[in-house]
Amino acid sequence: MTDSKYFTTTKKGEIFELKSELQSEKREKKKEAVKKVIASMTVGKDVSALFPDVVNCIQTDNLELKKLVYLYLMNYAKSQPDMAILAVNTFVKDCEDSNPLIRALAVRTMGCIRVDKIIDYLCQPLRNCLKDEDPYVRKTAAVCVAKLYDINAQLVEDQGFLDLLRDMLSDSNPMVVANAVAAISEILESSPTAQQVLEMNASTINKLLTALNECTEWGQVFILDAISNYTPKDDKEAQSICERVTPRLAHANAAVVLSAVKVIMKFMEMLDGTSEYVLTLVKKLAPPLVTLLSAEAEIQYVALRNINLIVQKRSDILKNEMKVFFVKYNDPIYVKLEKLDIMIRLTSQANIAQVLAELKEYSTEVDVDFVRKSVRAIGRCAIKVEPAAEKCVSTLLDLIQTKVNYVVQEAIVVIKDIFRKYPNKYESIIATLCENLDTLDEPEARASMIWIIGEYAERIDNADELLESFLEGFQDENSQVQLQLLTAIVKLFLKRPTDTQELVQQVLSLATQDSDNPDLRDRGYIYWRLLSTDPAAAKEVVLAEKPLISEETDLIEPTLLDELICHISSLASVYHKPPNSFVEGRQGGLRRALPPKSSSGNLAEQETQAVVENMGAPAAPQSTVIPGVDSLIGDLLDMDLGGPSMAQQQQMFGGPSQTPVQTSGAMDLLGEGLDSLLGGPAPAGDGGLGGLGDIFGMSQSQSYVPPQEVWIPAAKGKGLEVTGTFIRKNKQIIMDLTFSNKAMQPMAGFAIQFNKNSFGLIPANPLQVQSPLPPNQSASTSLVLNTTGPIQKMEPLTSLQVAVKNNIDVFYFSSNVPIHVFFTEDGEMEKRVFLATWKDIPAQNEVQYTISNVEHNADTVSAKLRNNNIFTVAKRNVEGQDMLYQSLKLTNGIWVLAELKIQPPNTNFVVSLRSGTPDIFPEIFQILDTILHN
Amino acid sequence: MGGIWSYFSGLFGTKERRILILGLDGAGKTTILYRLQVGEVVTTIPTIGFNVETVQFKNLKFQVWDLGGQTSIRPYWRCYYSNTDAIIYVVDSMDRERMGISKQELFSMLEEDELRKAVLVIFANKQDIEGAMTPSEVANALGLTAIKHKYQIFKTSAIKGEGLNEAMEWTANTLTQQK
Repeated sequence: MTDSKYFTTTKKGEIFELKSELQSEKREKKKEAVKKVIASMTVGKDVSALFPDVVNCIQTDNLELKKLVYLYLMNYAKSQPDMAILAVNTFVKDCEDSNPLIRALAVRTMGCIRVDKIIDYLCQPLRNCLKDEDPYVRKTAAVCVAKLYDINAQLVEDQGFLDLLRDMLSDSNPMVVANAVAAISEILESSPTAQQVLEMNASTINKLLTALNECTEWGQVFILDAISNYTPKDDKEAQSICERVTPRLAHANAAVVLSAVKVIMKFMEMLDGTSEYVLTLVKKLAPPLVTLLSAEAEIQYVALRNINLIVQKRSDILKNEMKVFFVKYNDPIYVKLEKLDIMIRLTSQANIAQVLAELKEYSTEVDVDFVRKSVRAIGRCAIKVEPAAEKCVSTLLDLIQTKVNYVVQEAIVVIKDIFRKYPNKYESIIATLCENLDTLDEPEARASMIWIIGEYAERIDNADELLESFLEGFQDENSQVQLQLLTAIVKLFLKRPTDTQELVQQVLSLATQDSDNPDLRDRGYIYWRLLSTDPAAAKEVVLAEKPLISEETDLIEPTLLDELICHISSLASVYHKPPNSFVEGRQGGLRRALPPKSSSGNLAEQETQAVVENMGAPAAPQSTVIPGVDSLIGDLLDMDLGGPSMAQQQQMFGGPSQTPVQTSGAMDLLGEGLDSLLGGPAPAGDGGLGGLGDIFGMSQSQSYVPPQEVWIPAAKGKGLEVTGTFIRKNKQIIMDLTFSNKAMQPMAGFAIQFNKNSFGLIPANPLQVQSPLPPNQSASTSLVLNTTGPIQKMEPLTSLQVAVKNNIDVFYFSSNVPIHVFFTEDGEMEKRVFLATWKDIPAQNEVQYTISNVEHNADTVSAKLRNNNIFTVAKRNVEGQDMLYQSLKLTNGIWVLAELKIQPPNTNFVVSLRSGTPDIFPEIFQILDTILHN
Repeated sequence: MGGIWSYFSGLFGTKERRILILGLDGAGKTTILYRLQVGEVVTTIPTIGFNVETVQFKNLKFQVWDLGGQTSIRPYWRCYYSNTDAIIYVVDSMDRERMGISKQELFSMLEEDELRKAVLVIFANKQDIEGAMTPSEVANALGLTAIKHKYQIFKTSAIKGEGLNEAMEWTANTLTQQK
């Protein structure tokens, strides 16, 4: 006997027993058996093998047995999709049963059976039930449509169920209306295509409002949520809806209240904010919200999260209710933290004294998180309510005196913010702060303290010692602290250059050589080059005036806030995140936006505006004229320096990409730079700052021709040396190449190829060089280039990677194409067009540069630039200043407009550039500078 | 209570007998079931699944299962075979083309062990329509001579109610004798 016997049915065991019991002729026994099956199913045993036997019990006049079998079906139909078909006939019959309870039971179970194969058979029974005479059956069928839509949307649309559903909104029974609304909302959320059919209009809304008063609380929630998604056609309609929804605010169910609040918050947007009605409405909103806070803690939390949004949108609603947000000793911590947040939002001059007393109290509690947040709250109050700042600061100082570690650290973090808000006011407390240096062990607190030391280095006598002590463990610090330390030491150096040179050199080398963090390295290099090229500029950048901060920094971004307001009373409003960020598979869902403010009439215009807002685009003109390539300097801007100083940095720097980084040059860069910083102005363009230094002293030519560069040195090219440059001649871009054979044998078989590049440069003809090239001889050639090749954005933009081949090997090099060879001959813009375009380009796309030591007047400049296809569109003289307006066009169709300001005795020209593609500004400025100095 | 009741009912010979009505789709199975139960012709739709009704005939009680005849449902007939006393196999006498399929289904069914003791009653249905095959033609087409089960063929018309009583009479008698 083989072991196969173990796999044959043994006809024994629990399942077999149940099977025979199910086949019993005695009803009682059958029912008992089904109960046993359901019990097994409930505890997780797999009884799906009994599917046919259980289903055979389905046709019975015993309601209890039928319910049990239906329960079984809902559970196992999915695992036995083929056999589920056996139940279809029963559904069909039960949907025609004389008992409405059985009809509803059948249609409900049908909805829960998610088997594709049988849904076709279930459409007709469903249709009958949707038109059933009994409201209980109709309301059950309505939900079934939404469920069916989830399985097969197309079928539901084809069968016209959506129309039936819409008709149900006018049903005489409010429960049916509520369920139809729920089903419709569900369908709309998963598919915007159903929108045309299910669009709400004024009359359906009216019916919903009527049903609202009569249906159950959960029905009310569905209806209110649906109403909130409707956009009234004018303010009158919005007002009338608000009027009819207002009584719901007094409902005992928190969900009803919050949904009503949502409707009112949303539609209030459309009303005139100063009208009497809105003012009374605002007054009516406060009591229900306050009442929510007397519910159990979980509901309180949800209410608080929603109130947090409401307060940010309309702080006037709860401005007089500060006291209810005071923390109770027995509140759970999550409620406490949330209340604290709202307290700060509600703080004003009127109640600051009270709030501050509370916060001080909280700061002595035991829960660390809560205490931290309380200390922070004090700081935020100081920033928000100016007259109370002094009091807040002294409270913070009191707290620092407690010497409780985490309190001190939080206090220092917020004091840093207070310094940013009120400069030159409270610096006297720095000494107290410095006393606590040793206790700081959290990165944020350390970073804040270092920032304070750097910022006020001139007032702290031993700032260098303090910073040096931090520097000892530089490698082990958090990157936040490292960045701050770097900046602080550079600040200190700029303020006290004499005795801190060693320190700054140390930190720069730590940041640039010993760190893996690209942010830190980049910042290190920027400072390094700034210090080595132009110390004055470095001062301007690093010690720039910082913008004052305001309390808005911790508010939710307005468009997001508006979206969240539309989701009050949902998870989104608790998470403070839009639904599509945490609900999977609902990307198709609509983004909700508040309705635009309106007056009666001009409907079409409002609608388009609403559409625009739906797209998530803010109304403010923010879009760029030409969608530019990704910002070249993006990663620089990401750094957490103050905004304006960044812009300046970018200006002074002319784009970091402009100068190829020479690894060997980097070290002595600082040496020279420091010398010059200490000894006098650095000679411009000196040192390893890139190939442009050699440019000066070049012979004058019609169009600017950059000097030949060595692209492949003989040592790297196995004896082949390639030098060359790019010029623009006869409307063509030409690459001048010189091949020198420094090897011992002749070379032959030259060829050239370009990598994909930003401007699509590609050789127009094959390379033609004297071949073979005997040893110790050179051959020159001019290669005409087209701009029709494959395009790929390079970094820097003008970089071109080239491969040169000969009979020995293939050699690769990278060169920078001077951007002016891309300036086309038809780059002269008409005056009017220029004016319009200039205005069209948003101001943030404008960058100013200074070109110093130019020994030309307006006319010679104009002529010089014209030779390089930079055209002077107009010229005017304003109060002794010559203003030149210029345009140029690149081969890829990008226009750049420039305004050149010349004040005759002064040799520094100011040039402002505007273009839809600001990425190229650094290159343009560089070439202007070069051409004008040439 | 149920136990005692069934004991008495067994004594009086009214024990429920289990009958399956099988056959290809559209043969008239559901119509026959309700004709037997309520004595009327009801409008039917294709049975996706099954119907089960209790039918009283003379002093006998039958639990009659009418199973759907669609190709997709035929594989599940076997779920109903156990404890079956009689099979009513309904054939559409007008459907000459599918007589072969009908025969195949009949024979594969009869091979089942569970149906070994079941009585087979064949309804050559739709005899009210002109041009229908006669019962002997149907019997030939189905190859009934090869069947080892106890069987009988009847000419019936569910619409007119003809032949049903005779067939049930025979079934009832055969089942009581078997007992």
